[in-house]
Amino acid sequence: MSLESIVHVCLAGLSTGMFIWLVASGLTLIFGVLGVLNFAHGSFYMLGAYCCLSALKIMGGNFWIGLLIGPLFVCAAGFIIERFFLRYVYHLALPYQLLLTFAFVLVFDDLVRILWGGGSLGSPSVPGLSGSVDIFGRYFPTYNLFIIIVGPLVALGLWVLIEKTWYGRVIRAASTEREMASAIGVRVPALFTSVFVFGTWLGAMGGALAVPYVGLLTPGMGEAIIIDAFVVAVIGGLGSLKGAFLGALIIGLVSSFGTRFMPAFDMFLTFILMAAVLLLRPQGFFGKAS
Amino acid sequence: MAKKGWTRRRFIQAGLLTTGAAALGGFAKPTGLWAATPKIKGPIKVGYQAVMSGTLAGYGDFHRMGATMAMEEINAAGGIAGNKLVIEFRDSTLKTPEAIQNARYFVDSWEADFLAGVDSSGQALALGPVMAELDRVLMVTHAATEKLTEEQVFKNGIKQIFRICSPTYQDGNAAAFVAKDLPAKTWATVSPKYEYGYTCWEMFKNTLGKLKKDVSFTGESWAPFGTTDFRPHINTILDAKPEGLYSTEWAGELITFVKQAKQARLFERITHVMFPVGAAMDVLEGLGAEMPDNIWISGRYFFLYPDSSQNNDWVQRFRKRWNHYPAYVSETGYATMFAFKKAVEAAGSKDTAAVIQAMEGMQLDSPAGRRVFRKEDHQAMYDVPWGLTAASDKYPFKIMGKQVMVPAKDCFNRPPFEGDESKPPF
Repeated sequence: MSLESIVHVCLAGLSTGMFIWLVASGLTLIFGVLGVLNFAHGSFYMLGAYCCLSALKIMGGNFWIGLLIGPLFVCAAGFIIERFFLRYVYHLALPYQLLLTFAFVLVFDDLVRILWGGGSLGSPSVPGLSGSVDIFGRYFPTYNLFIIIVGPLVALGLWVLIEKTWYGRVIRAASTEREMASAIGVRVPALFTSVFVFGTWLGAMGGALAVPYVGLLTPGMGEAIIIDAFVVAVIGGLGSLKGAFLGALIIGLVSSFGTRFMPAFDMFLTFILMAAVLLLRPQGFFGKAS
Repeated sequence: MAKKGWTRRRFIQAGLLTTGAAALGGFAKPTGLWAATPKIKGPIKVGYQAVMSGTLAGYGDFHRMGATMAMEEINAAGGIAGNKLVIEFRDSTLKTPEAIQNARYFVDSWEADFLAGVDSSGQALALGPVMAELDRVLMVTHAATEKLTEEQVFKNGIKQIFRICSPTYQDGNAAAFVAKDLPAKTWATVSPKYEYGYTCWEMFKNTLGKLKKDVSFTGESWAPFGTTDFRPHINTILDAKPEGLYSTEWAGELITFVKQAKQARLFERITHVMFPVGAAMDVLEGLGAEMPDNIWISGRYFFLYPDSSQNNDWVQRFRKRWNHYPAYVSETGYATMFAFKKAVEAAGSKDTAAVIQAMEGMQLDSPAGRRVFRKEDHQAMYDVPWGLTAASDKYPFKIMGKQVMVPAKDCFNRPPFEGDESKPPF
């Protein structure tokens, strides 16, 4: 076993984990604050990718401009979903919320096929990051190194936002004591809308950022990643951003090492891990025991 | 379940029609469009299922384009034995229960005369017993596992199943014939973690092992359906350091794999690379100039082969009708309708037993060339080349440059599909 091999299996695991984290962060934020398990998050990922591509084509072909503008359109969709649909089912049992968000998965899958067609679309190249770097004699995509750096930065940004800002304090207050926050003058419905839209934006950014590495866009592209994101959210403790970050790192590394060293079990490993966590610590790493 | 038979209403309708026809008979003999021969009661209904949702939805579109174009051409030229051809399309979703449900809907509720389509090998195998029960001919246009024709048709005697596309013999056996002349002596694979991927790699290893004694197979990595990150698999292959790479990844996953392998500079380290379904149009167009040169590719059909007037005319018509180059599923979907037409007209009936008899051993001149439906296992025998990718001034994507033809008669397994005598080399 060469150093080259170990280093590259680690790097692959880190980048896989950070791609999952970018998606899981929005999912976790929305669950943590609103208590909604949002199935449509995978659709936001897909829409983020498609809108980024269309935006960059219209704006002259620069990936970074697409990344800036595209996800904003998805935020508009997120706003409509929360304001005009989800808001009316918060007081109902969880299955109703699941059904509603699942309905949006179907709607968005068809919408993408109608607007962009059923075939796959090619991905844009990323100015400045399209090459590879030689690490211990094997080439690793520069773009994936960039993602390995972006992941922790997003985590840091979210931590600062939630723990250190006024907005974060209000969010924490409203998510733990909805009535009390409302009684002291917090406009909880508007706050929830803003958190949902922000979570939507995180999912859409995840999709837009995944495209240059995956290399193509297809309808239904959100389905595979959302399962990983759910696993990560469960392992970390539903609603815990810290847990989701750690969970994503672990799942990324487990799947990379699993594929390389235990190929027969690579699909099982993540689910065995999830089962073990649920058995030994049902609330996840950082979840609150109920 | 709908019981077929004469209802009172249909009896009266038929009576009126017969009387009407008899009254007209002396004056106007029906000619041209829908001038039905008395034995066949039209229209001829074909239930076609293909994947139309999810990441492979583009395949469904190409199935539909080919089959629809055949329907338009057949109907414009007078139909099938004077009867109009009608096709209904349904989404197979690639899930097995859905495929069975579709087949039952087509036959029991929609009263289809024939079934066609099916993308996944798992679906095709599960449909075997169902087709025996429903007793309609199913023409498989995409699913490739050899077990369908060897086991379901030949061994289990499910005569209702035919296959018009080339099976895994093209991916495994024919690839081995090409590989035996390459200098590579160690081979590894990154392939789909399901029936199709396993069966092709087994066949490639067995046949190449027989053709060339000093080869060894040094690594394999199996990617689950829906893989978007091939980096862990690429690490496995780079660690194995093979001289040759064989991969049955296909469609979008092949595009992703090639892009990510390029970033790892895999094609600089491994110079002999074979993609059995790399000549699919979605892959060639999807990768464009990013497809490396000198990669061995093949498929079920490639629009530049054969260089016959039938094929070239068809490609022109297809481009005019759909503004696309035909994918291989377009060709198999198109040829399927003409196979049904030829069989029904030869049998003078659309009854399943008569059509099966007509189709066994039937020759069909199609865009992909002459097909012969082998009597024993109902597999269409026809030749598809392997070729090296090369850039061309005429197309915005790579095409096959240097080509090698391994004829179907040399690389397709032979009945009775048991023991080494049934497998190439013969």
